[in-house]
Amino acid sequence: MTKTLTALCTACVALAIASLAAQAPLDRTKIPSPGKPAVLRVPAWTTSTLANGADLMVSEKHDLPLVSFSITFLGGADQFEPPDRRGVGLLTASMLSEGTRSRDGEALSNALQLLGTSVQTTMGGESGTMTFQSTSAKLGATLDILADMLLNPAFPPAGLERLRAQRLVQLNQAKAQSGAIAARVFPRILYGSAHPFGQATTEESVKAITRDDIVAFHQAYFRPGRALVTVVGDVSAPAAKAEVERALAKWPAGGDKPAFTYPALPARRPSTIYLVDKPGAAQSTFSIGNPGPPRNTPDYYALQVMNVILGGQFQSRLNANIREEKGYSYGVNSSFAYGKGPGPFRAGGDIVTAKSDLALIEFMKELRGIEGSRPITDEELTTAKDALTQRLPGTFGSVAGINTALTTVWTQGLPADYYQQYGAHIAAITKDDVLRVARKYIDLDHLAIVIVGDRATIEGPLKATGIAPIAITDIEGNPQTGQ
Amino acid sequence: MRIQPKRTAWLACLALVCTAAVQSDTIKIPFTTYTLPNGLTVILSVDHTTPTVAVEAWYHVGSKNEIPGRTGFAHLFEHVMFTGSGHVPYGLHDKLTEGIGGSNNGTTSNDRTMYFETVPSNYLEAELWLESDRMGYLLDTLDVAKLNAQRDIVKNERRQSVDNQPYGRAGEILSRAIYPPSNPYSWDVIGSMEDLSAASEGDVKNFFRLYYAPNNAFLSVVGDIDPVQAKAWIETYFGGLPRGKAITRPSVAPVTLQDEQRLVFEDRVQIPRLYVEWPTVGERSDDRFALQLLGAILSGPRTARLTKALIYDQQAAASVSARQGSNEDVGEFGITVTPRPGHSLTDLEQAADAIVEKMKADGPTAEELQKATAGEELRFISGLQSELGKASRLADGAGFHGDPGYFRTEYQKSLAVTAADVKRVANQYLTHGRVVLSVVPIGKVDQASKPAESKRVTDGNAPRPEAQ
Repeated sequence: MTKTLTALCTACVALAIASLAAQAPLDRTKIPSPGKPAVLRVPAWTTSTLANGADLMVSEKHDLPLVSFSITFLGGADQFEPPDRRGVGLLTASMLSEGTRSRDGEALSNALQLLGTSVQTTMGGESGTMTFQSTSAKLGATLDILADMLLNPAFPPAGLERLRAQRLVQLNQAKAQSGAIAARVFPRILYGSAHPFGQATTEESVKAITRDDIVAFHQAYFRPGRALVTVVGDVSAPAAKAEVERALAKWPAGGDKPAFTYPALPARRPSTIYLVDKPGAAQSTFSIGNPGPPRNTPDYYALQVMNVILGGQFQSRLNANIREEKGYSYGVNSSFAYGKGPGPFRAGGDIVTAKSDLALIEFMKELRGIEGSRPITDEELTTAKDALTQRLPGTFGSVAGINTALTTVWTQGLPADYYQQYGAHIAAITKDDVLRVARKYIDLDHLAIVIVGDRATIEGPLKATGIAPIAITDIEGNPQTGQ
Repeated sequence: MRIQPKRTAWLACLALVCTAAVQSDTIKIPFTTYTLPNGLTVILSVDHTTPTVAVEAWYHVGSKNEIPGRTGFAHLFEHVMFTGSGHVPYGLHDKLTEGIGGSNNGTTSNDRTMYFETVPSNYLEAELWLESDRMGYLLDTLDVAKLNAQRDIVKNERRQSVDNQPYGRAGEILSRAIYPPSNPYSWDVIGSMEDLSAASEGDVKNFFRLYYAPNNAFLSVVGDIDPVQAKAWIETYFGGLPRGKAITRPSVAPVTLQDEQRLVFEDRVQIPRLYVEWPTVGERSDDRFALQLLGAILSGPRTARLTKALIYDQQAAASVSARQGSNEDVGEFGITVTPRPGHSLTDLEQAADAIVEKMKADGPTAEELQKATAGEELRFISGLQSELGKASRLADGAGFHGDPGYFRTEYQKSLAVTAADVKRVANQYLTHGRVVLSVVPIGKVDQASKPAESKRVTDGNAPRPEAQ
């Protein structure tokens, strides 16, 4: 076969190298060594301030006729929603698509469809965004529509009632989804109902929201003083600034950046299994963790390395053990939420019902392991660092990816050379750092272990592990009476 | 449809750099393609935007190549492909992908199985070594323990995506209702628990030898590459792998249903949901372009007909979707409606039918057509930012249509669909021969659409959970 190949290849200049290589027998046991690594190319960007006080970041990328645009608001539902009106932020964001003073919802939708795009408005815990992607030729026209939605919303009552009804259906459907139940119960246990992180949108809060609440939220929240406009793509920085100033000329100045002061965390409780019954569930959904540090912790880089080793990747300890070796799950992982406040550390995944107890034993074993009972190897440390550092160039491949990179620098208050310095920070992390932050941020004696699953099958075996006492909990995270 | 590797084609293509220019000069992915003597089709595309590269190995095998009693096998096999091979110990594949800042994965459909890596471009040779080793030497290190471990994981995948998901069983119930048991599209890719338990080491070996030969494979490499160097490495690592036997592919004709089949399934859900599905056509038929547009005109933005009528005007539905799904040989057009409280599935079915009948009578307006296609250019250009996305497009074109540049044809045909085409396919395919499935909360069969006429689906005629 090799000879035939070589004969054919002589006809072809392009394969000259191959024919040379084919003469030496191939040693497949040798891992090909990598070529010279590429130099990190971080996109450049300009920063300026608009007349109304909003910040502007622009990064040019001209290889495709494409633009990613966003307005990011600092602070989100956790800063601006009253506790008894949880959900008003998202509802207000959705209402921006329901029509303006000059265009009803259908006219807005038609105009955007004809431009081949759509405007998304989202509301997160600590930030909100209005965003679109367009061809560069349609940037100005799309921006005009976004500005109309932002500045002149009509908030028609019929639209509110329809969106409210849809939201209530979603909340009802979520009661049947293990993942959605866990996503509600876990933060409630960790932070309590007095902390914004522990509050959730409920059927009651959605029913209580009035049109006045929506109007008030819009007026208070969507202000340039807390906003960043980001434009990335096939447009020059001066042209982008001129377009944005023109389209947003009528957006009055005002609004402050929130201080992100959160109430004190509830007193830590001894590790407890919070079991939420889901009769007949084929799998148990695990969420194990505790409140974590904010993004600005000096331990950020060490935590990144630690989490890659523990549960951030496919071959991390948790998944290698619980999925690959034991076969208890389709996948388990761990993560830190970071952000401005004490977002949670969480380890978890979906576990086959019959192995819930054995999986819990393995989760605990790996958490103890990362805190010292299973020392980190040189290879683990090197692989984790390489993984983190070398993934950076790929994040700058799309206009949306660059937009996110720029916006993160602004929302998290990172230095302008953050991406250039990232590799050096990661490289400096030692095994001792990893061990120290694992012990500091994962509190083995005060873990919340939330398990949503078939109580009749799993309660006894979970109890028999002796890992922690069991508290039966309802799907909102409240202790269930009459156990 | 099958690509016959030809030496002449291989030589001809070496000289050919196939760049595309359609209506818009942005609709292009420059590529070169050639076929090795062992039958491996190679597609290369240079993109230096970021110092990364995507490698995709695409095999023309999927769940439709399975036999009854072994459903789910193609996907189980995909998992086995990640357990190491002759010269690659278990775990090294991940170390040489995610361990260097990249990623890897695989997917299985009814028609094809693909494996991919996205990595810093200086690791291209290592990725080619990895992919070639499992194409050539998977069986060297296979044992029953590895198979059993992956079997458990796949069963967990089924639990997570099907059994423990509200409405998760709807897909396989619809497939079984539309296609006769002899039709390989009558079972879903994930397969049944029983069949997954039955798969043997021998099954793995036979499947590998037949379907994972270079003559059944397409290698797509897109990104920051030197094409001369890439070709040389591909020759080095893949050139020596032996050609496999000729493959007999199942010949599957699109099906039609004579009558309406009405079904009801009780599931752990809070709210009932209605599924209406018609057998249509797959990748081989150009009617799918008009059917795709029909879906975009019926649902999506608030002005789409079903969305406007059911969600906005009547306020009877919380969500609605209509879409054409195309496999290689067959396809289905499906409508899904979730009601708002106080609205029955019976009423919603009737309301949806009225909208569909109006479309069949009048066809779409010119503006509806224009809106439905206006986003095509943006979607295409946006997709060009992903090396992996491009690698898949090129491989899909080569594998299903014998032309890596099929994306141009696809783009042109999508934009060429007329209002008359949409009206015609609506009348031709959205007929009385269809399946209407109501998924209802347990014990609430009366919430089905026309409950008295609907046959209950039980676990007796569905895959059973395996013994623990």
